[in-house]
Amino acid sequence: MKLKPYFIAHNSSNESYLVPTSGAEFSGVVKGNKTLGAIIGLLKEETTREQVIDKMKERFEAPEGVIEKDVDTVIYQLQKIGALE
Amino acid sequence: MLTNRYDFAGKTVEVNSLNEAVHNYCAAYVSDAPVDFAITTAKEDIEYERSRAEIPGYSDGYLEELAVYRKIAEKMPYYDTILFHGSVIAVDGAAYLFTAASGTGKSTHVALWRKLFGERAVMVNDDKPLLHIGDVVTAYGTPYDGKHKLSNKIAVPLKAICILTRACDNSIVPVTKSEAYTTLLQQAYRPNDVIALQKTLELVDRMAEKVGLYRLGCNMELEAAKVAYDGMNKHD
Repeated sequence: MKLKPYFIAHNSSNESYLVPTSGAEFSGVVKGNKTLGAIIGLLKEETTREQVIDKMKERFEAPEGVIEKDVDTVIYQLQKIGALE
Repeated sequence: MLTNRYDFAGKTVEVNSLNEAVHNYCAAYVSDAPVDFAITTAKEDIEYERSRAEIPGYSDGYLEELAVYRKIAEKMPYYDTILFHGSVIAVDGAAYLFTAASGTGKSTHVALWRKLFGERAVMVNDDKPLLHIGDVVTAYGTPYDGKHKLSNKIAVPLKAICILTRACDNSIVPVTKSEAYTTLLQQAYRPNDVIALQKTLELVDRMAEKVGLYRLGCNMELEAAKVAYDGMNKHD
């Protein structure tokens, strides 16, 4: 899976945003913290859920299961708005 | 193909259209200056606008007017300029932009400013101004000025952006860039071209640092305009 090319990741004031072009069906803006930004960053290249989790674990320390839950939540939300291919 | 040149935010745009309606609509902005860029609309652009229209039955001429502004807005980020949804009014040479979802009452509130300030108040654009983000942010009148056709062919330094909400009592508070940012992104035209969108996001960032940002809760009483103006000027 991979982020569709017409969704742009953007950071401002320590917050992460995912912004679609005007041609995308989803017309809103996704806002989140640095975890969202990091996951979105990893989804710019073709990858899998497991690879995203492994790379997040290399970068962030968290109790067992937290990173898996964060990644699953973000992937679910991105699929829901049609941001992944 | 019908052709003419128009001034949009200080740039001369050659518009090549299928319908005369576009040129009638933009007539007040005709320019004879050298062309900065050209746009051409075709039948498929009209059909694209038809597919996005919330109400069926619009004429080809009206839909082509929308298509022309969309094409101009796609190019403008390359000139450090964005299209923004909001009503801009100038008082004593400083412009104030009110933004909110359609139907919230931007135009109604700005009408209160005209009533309060009389000849001191000048409409810049009641619906879709162009904003140039340079050392200062400048708001431009354009022909695309809403259902009441309120605009002037002027450029005015933008002092503040105010996010408008309805409320029983009038109050205004400054907001941080972070608090305003999602609204600013949603109210800026987001180009279909990825590079133009990236430039737009950078311009919104810069704009948010150069103008005052406020949230206004307001009713429809004249006092709302006074509260808004005073709130955006009390730190001068």
